[in-house]
Amino acid sequence: MSNRTAFWIFILGTASSALLFIFLTVDMHRQVDALTNADKLTDDVVAGKKVWEKYNCNDCHTLLGFGGYYAPDMTKVYKRRGEDGIRFIVKEPEKAFAKSWRKMPKQNLSDAEINSLIAFLKWVSEINNGDWPPQDSDKRIANSALKLTAGAGVNLGMALLQDKGCLSCHNYKGVGDEDVPLEKAGEKYDAETLKKLIHNPQSVNKDASMPPQDGLSDAELETIVNFLKSKN
Amino acid sequence: MKYKSQGIARAYFTVALLLFVLQVIVGLYLAFNYFFTVPQGVVDAFPFSTARAFHTNLLVLWMLLGFMGGAYFIVPEETEREIYSTKLAYIQLILLVGTGVAALVGFLFGWTQGRPLLEIPTLLDLFVVVGALMFLFNIGMTMITARKWTVIQGTLLGGLVFLAVMYLFGIPFYKNTSIDWYYWWWVIHLWVEGAWELITSAIMAFVLLKLTGVERKVVEKWLYVEIGLFLFTGIAGTGHHYYWLAAPRYWLWIGGIFSALEPVPIVLMVLDTWNHVRHRKLEIKNHLTFVYVVGCAVLHLAGAGVLGIVHTLPQINYYTHGSQVTVSHGHLAFFGAYALLNLTIFYFAFPQLKGIVRYDEKLGRICFWTMSLSMLGITLAFGVAGVIQSYVERVMGLGYMTAQGHMKLWMAIAFAFGLVFLVGVIVMVYDLLFMKPARQEA
Repeated sequence: MSNRTAFWIFILGTASSALLFIFLTVDMHRQVDALTNADKLTDDVVAGKKVWEKYNCNDCHTLLGFGGYYAPDMTKVYKRRGEDGIRFIVKEPEKAFAKSWRKMPKQNLSDAEINSLIAFLKWVSEINNGDWPPQDSDKRIANSALKLTAGAGVNLGMALLQDKGCLSCHNYKGVGDEDVPLEKAGEKYDAETLKKLIHNPQSVNKDASMPPQDGLSDAELETIVNFLKSKN
Repeated sequence: MKYKSQGIARAYFTVALLLFVLQVIVGLYLAFNYFFTVPQGVVDAFPFSTARAFHTNLLVLWMLLGFMGGAYFIVPEETEREIYSTKLAYIQLILLVGTGVAALVGFLFGWTQGRPLLEIPTLLDLFVVVGALMFLFNIGMTMITARKWTVIQGTLLGGLVFLAVMYLFGIPFYKNTSIDWYYWWWVIHLWVEGAWELITSAIMAFVLLKLTGVERKVVEKWLYVEIGLFLFTGIAGTGHHYYWLAAPRYWLWIGGIFSALEPVPIVLMVLDTWNHVRHRKLEIKNHLTFVYVVGCAVLHLAGAGVLGIVHTLPQINYYTHGSQVTVSHGHLAFFGAYALLNLTIFYFAFPQLKGIVRYDEKLGRICFWTMSLSMLGITLAFGVAGVIQSYVERVMGLGYMTAQGHMKLWMAIAFAFGLVFLVGVIVMVYDLLFMKPARQEA
C-alpha cells in the first residue's frame, strides 16, 4: 500500500461516516418532535429540567440511562412512584430513606420547584425511547403479575406487591427494597383497616409517610389484603 | 530536549500528575459510597453527585493538560522551531488551572450546570474557550511560521481543533432532554472516539518514530490508515448512544454496525505498534517507554475495544445500558487508552526535560504493573457488579436497591483494588517528578 492509498482511506473513511452522520442528524431533528411529544414540552417542563440541573440530580441518578449510577434511573420514575411518591422523596429524603443503607441529600427544594420537576419527569416518562429501561417497561410489566403467578405458581397477592411497586419501599420476607417489612402488617391490622391504610395511610396513622395508593382496583386491593392476612 | 520551549511541557505534566492523584482519591470515596452507609448529615453536605463531578472533571482536566503539554513537547520537534510564544503557553496554563479550581470549589457550593461531565457553569465555559483559543493560536502560529508540515503534526492539530469545536456543542441549554443528550454525545463520544483518538494516534506515532527510528514514511502511512478507520467507525458509531433516548429506530442498526467495527483500528494500532517496536533501528535507551507504549496499545484494545463491543449491540445494551457494566468499560478504556497514553508521553519526555539519558527504571516498572493489574481488578469487580445489576434489576425486575445489595461485595473489592491503584499512581508521580539517572551513568 502506498502513502497515497493510505491518505485516500483516511479522506474517504472520514467523509463517508461524517456525511452519513450529518444526514441522520438532520433526519433526527425532523422526527424528534413526534418521538418526544414536543407539543407537551411546556414552560413548566422546561423549568423542571432546570431544577433537575440546578440540583445536579443527574450525577447520582441516570436519565435515559445517562449520568451517575448511584441511584435509580429516573426515565420512568413518574410511572413507578407517581406524583406523590416523587414529592415525598424529594421533600423529605431523610424520612423516605431513613432505613435505607443509601441516603439521598436533602436539598430543600421549594414547592414550586418540586412541581416543575414532577412536570419534567412526567414528560420524560412519556417519550418514545424504545421501551427502556427494561425494569420499568410497560410491555413487560403488563400482565407480569399474572405471568409470574401462572409461571411459578406463586401467590397473586405477592405478585401484586411486586408489580404495584409496594416493594420499592417495603420488604416481604427479604424481598424488596427498603427495610419496612410487611409480614407484621397482617397481624397488626384487621382487613378493613388494612384496606383503609393502603388507600389513605394518613387516615389510620397521621404520621405515616407512605403516599396514598389510589391506583389499585378493588379486586387488587382485596387480593393484597387477603394475602397479608392469610400468611400469618 | 532539543528546543528550549519544550520545557513548557514540564509545567503542564506536573499539574496533570497532581490532578490525577486527586482524581483517584475522589474515586475511592465514590466506590466507598457503594458499600458503606454514609450518614445523612455528610450526604447533605457533600453528596455523591458532587464527588462524581470532581472525579470526572478532574479526569478531563488532567488529561487535556497532558495532551496540551504533549503538544508543546512534540510540535517544536516536528516543526523544528520554538513554540510561538512561551509566555502565552504559561498564561494559558494558569488560566485553565484557575478555571478548574474555580469549577471544583463552585461544585462544593452547588454552582453547576448540572449535566454530567459538562457541569462547569457557562461563565467558566467561556474561560475554557479562551484557554483553548490561546492554545490553538499558539500551536497554529508555531506551525504556520515554521512552514513545515508533517502528517503527525497535522493529525495532532486536527484532533485538537476537532476537540475544541465539539466542546461548543455542550455549552447551550437545550429544552428537549432528548436533543440535549444527542448533542451531549457530540462532546463526549466524538471526543473519546474521535478527537482524542486522533491525538492518541499522533502522539503514539511520534513516540514510536523517535524511539524506534522506523522510517517516517512508514509510520505516517499507518497513521493515515488508523485515523481513517478511527473516524469511519467512530463518527457514525456515536449511534450506539442513541438507542434509548427517543431518536429514530434506525440508530439501533447504525450504532450496532459501526461500533462493531470500532475495535478494528485499535487492533491495527496494536499490530502496528508491535511491528515498529520489533523492527526498531535505534539502540534502546529506556526499555520502560516501550512497556508503556505497548501497554497503552494493549489495554486500549482491552478496555475500549473488547469491553466496548461486549455491550454495544442493542440486544445486550438494552439490559446493560447505564449500569456498572458501563463503569467497568469506562474505567479500563480511559486508563488503557488515555491515562497510559499520557503516561507514555510523560515517561518519554520527562527524562529529556531533565536532561537524563538513561534513568533508573525500577520504580517505573513496579508502578506500571501495579497500576495496570489493579485497574484490571477494578474493571473485573465493576464488571461482575454490572452483570449482577443487569440481571437482578433489569431482567428479574427485583428493584434497584435489591440489586445494589447483591453488588456490595464487588464494589468493596473494586475499592480494595482502588487502594492498590492509588499506591501505584503515587509511586509513579514520585518516580516522574524525582527521576534519577541510572547508576552506571551517575
